[in-house]
Amino acid sequence: MSESYLTISLNEVLFYFTRAAFGVDAPIGLSEDFARANMWISENGFDPSLCSLKALDNLDSQASSLSIKFEKTKEGGHLFCPEGKLLSSLEASASSVDWVEINSGVSELKISNVDSPFLVISALGANKCNGLKVVWTDQEKNQFQVNLTDSEEWEVLSSSSNPIELSSNADVLISPLEMSDKSYKGKNIKKFNLAEEKLRVLHNGVKVEENWQAIYSYFSRCLVKSSAASRASGAGAGLVDTD
Amino acid sequence: MTTETAIIDIESDFMRSPEKVMRLERMGSSFPTRLSFMRTLIRRMARENWKFERTRREVDKDGYGLSIYAVTTPHRTYSLVAFTQKIPDEMRTDRVIAEVWDATFNLFDGVPTQEDIDYLANNTPKQEGGRYRPSELALARANKSLRVFKNAVDSLSKGQQPDIDLLTSVGYLMRTSAVYGSGKFGCADRAKIADRDECKAPFQMELLTVYLIRWFTIDSVEELAKERGGKKAVKLDKTTRQFIGVGNATGLGMAPFLLKHPALIHNWVVAKETALARVRSIETPIEGTLKVFLKSLLQVSQHIDEWNVEDTVQADRISCLTDEIQALRIWCEDEFNISRPYPWNGIYQFVEDNFSLECQEMVVSLIIEPHGSLVDDLAETMSTNLIPTFNADMSLAQLKEVVEDSYQWATSIDFSLKESQHHFWYYSEDKLEPRFGSKGIDDGVEQEMPLAIGRDVSQLNKVLSSTSNEISISEFVMMYPEFRHIIRRIQNTFVRPYSEVQDNLLSESMRPLDLLRFKLAFFGASKFDPKSNLWTRISMYQGAPMPDQLSEPNHDCWSFPIAGRPQSFPCINCTCQKAI
Repeated sequence: MSESYLTISLNEVLFYFTRAAFGVDAPIGLSEDFARANMWISENGFDPSLCSLKALDNLDSQASSLSIKFEKTKEGGHLFCPEGKLLSSLEASASSVDWVEINSGVSELKISNVDSPFLVISALGANKCNGLKVVWTDQEKNQFQVNLTDSEEWEVLSSSSNPIELSSNADVLISPLEMSDKSYKGKNIKKFNLAEEKLRVLHNGVKVEENWQAIYSYFSRCLVKSSAASRASGAGAGLVDTD
Repeated sequence: MTTETAIIDIESDFMRSPEKVMRLERMGSSFPTRLSFMRTLIRRMARENWKFERTRREVDKDGYGLSIYAVTTPHRTYSLVAFTQKIPDEMRTDRVIAEVWDATFNLFDGVPTQEDIDYLANNTPKQEGGRYRPSELALARANKSLRVFKNAVDSLSKGQQPDIDLLTSVGYLMRTSAVYGSGKFGCADRAKIADRDECKAPFQMELLTVYLIRWFTIDSVEELAKERGGKKAVKLDKTTRQFIGVGNATGLGMAPFLLKHPALIHNWVVAKETALARVRSIETPIEGTLKVFLKSLLQVSQHIDEWNVEDTVQADRISCLTDEIQALRIWCEDEFNISRPYPWNGIYQFVEDNFSLECQEMVVSLIIEPHGSLVDDLAETMSTNLIPTFNADMSLAQLKEVVEDSYQWATSIDFSLKESQHHFWYYSEDKLEPRFGSKGIDDGVEQEMPLAIGRDVSQLNKVLSSTSNEISISEFVMMYPEFRHIIRRIQNTFVRPYSEVQDNLLSESMRPLDLLRFKLAFFGASKFDPKSNLWTRISMYQGAPMPDQLSEPNHDCWSFPIAGRPQSFPCINCTCQKAI
């Protein structure tokens, strides 16, 4: 499982990504949310390891933090990291889903300095938070707008052809989707249909490429070294079963 | 009836409470019922007239090579692709850490092409070391019980039947040591097949794999006997064939599954408990059912006689069970005891008041058995597609109330005591084998699997008690992200009261075996044969009809089988009667 360029199942995405996040010391609840978001990423035909490795690297190197604060604003709310670091998208995505649920998506939420905005999108998608628009300009000045139309259809409008999954370090604004948001003039547009893509994934599997090894390496931190004693007694059965 | 949750009346006098049912000791005394998943599958096979065919057998004179067994359902075909090889005796182990097996299998979705077979030939024998595709629905392996397999081949090749005592003492020719499905190692995700009628009940494709493996083992000994004995060779007689099951060695891998799928477990238990409550609430027994029950007590006595284990705890339980079934038979012979209104409730109550948990749970199974038309619909309610969600809208006051009301079993445990946190669960780097460690003795407590439900609830409860109700639950988890998982669990389980094991899973006295037996009984396994507190052998499909017997009367009545004799009590009040 540690080699690059594999085809894995959605269940394996859930299994390995939960533990990869746990491997960089994210609490298990956030790790589970992170893995669900990665399933949604996979169901839409993306390589989840490409999307998510940066967020895990940031947590591991402490370039990002799970520490988060909320403040009410005139327009709605604001989430930010009080430590002045990048806000880990693992925490930002879970908290933004909670906020949307409480506010029924009728006001705005600003999330400052998030390391992987696409993980916030995928958490919203995985939790069926629809009728929302999410916009940001990343550190390379690429502008993105994601319209989460309904539980199956969503679209990306961007100022460049740079992949959305690699967009990083941005202030993200979540607000209700309005008809006027569907202005495509001068933008790159990509539309997605979750049901169709998921069916393809169920029949072909999830392709993971070179970043998979690093994900597996974080996952491996959850494994316990085997000793002669644990090998002999930890599973409760003998080593030879000839009868 | 929804597939999500069976309609239950918790207030019913006849429904056993979660506090009674979801305790390790009782769970570890479980027996299969007619709602068990193997029974459900066999009923569907018969009802839909599934066709079975061996489509390929390309093996050498010792039986090593490739075989394919196909089953055709009304809408599609599934194929068991089997590879057999010679292995050194000393490398034969039931553990996950095994590297070679006598036989390895995939259940293929459809009819494999030669290209598919070539791909599997390079992967299936490696098991966890191979990679599989969404066309593979299950991955499995099995080792021979050398004594039984050899005796069967030798005897049949000489024109004789195998030694029935030896066969009875083991119960099978080969023993599986893992059956993986649901996306493991690249196999198809459950979502790919979940909408198919034949896959809606839990674990149907895994259990179809096992059913086909059983046929493969019987076919293998008969073919090998023919190869050796030529015209002198005979086939197994019909009763012996039906008695032969397929073994399984089950370890800790099953325990985390149970704890990670609380909504599913709730649905399983509610279905079984509802079935019991329906039977107990019958005021006047359905004609013939009491007679069948009394006959089943005789058969079950013989079944228990044939259930021999080395484990001293289980051996003592079986001995006690023998006496109790005998005592129950005598009690039932008194017409006064069973001719009153609500006779099933009377029988259940008498057993609960007087006998062991092992006997109580066996009687639950026996009194449900003659009531197929009353309970079989419940099998449709035992699945779930629920993905637990975090409810940020719940107030902290509500959460506190739920913890107080529904998790008293957890908050009353004193986790400051060393013995209350003696164990931990972890994955070993050795092929990800799940293991059970002891704190202070084994390494790996930092990598503990998050299965300590009671402890986590207890810790949450302490923090909640010192937190103001003024803050929202979303603010609370921002402050304490370490409680997000347990809050989500509580939010999703308190409305499903049979979803939690109401015991401390870390305590020094905890026996994972109890969890294994609980789950295996729902599968339909029998003849539990513990090898330690962490490990058990079992028999699957023992007594079940072979493919060519599925259209015969009594095909659905194969619980508690006995060697060398067909079922001794008649089929009644269930769908397979229609075949008569």
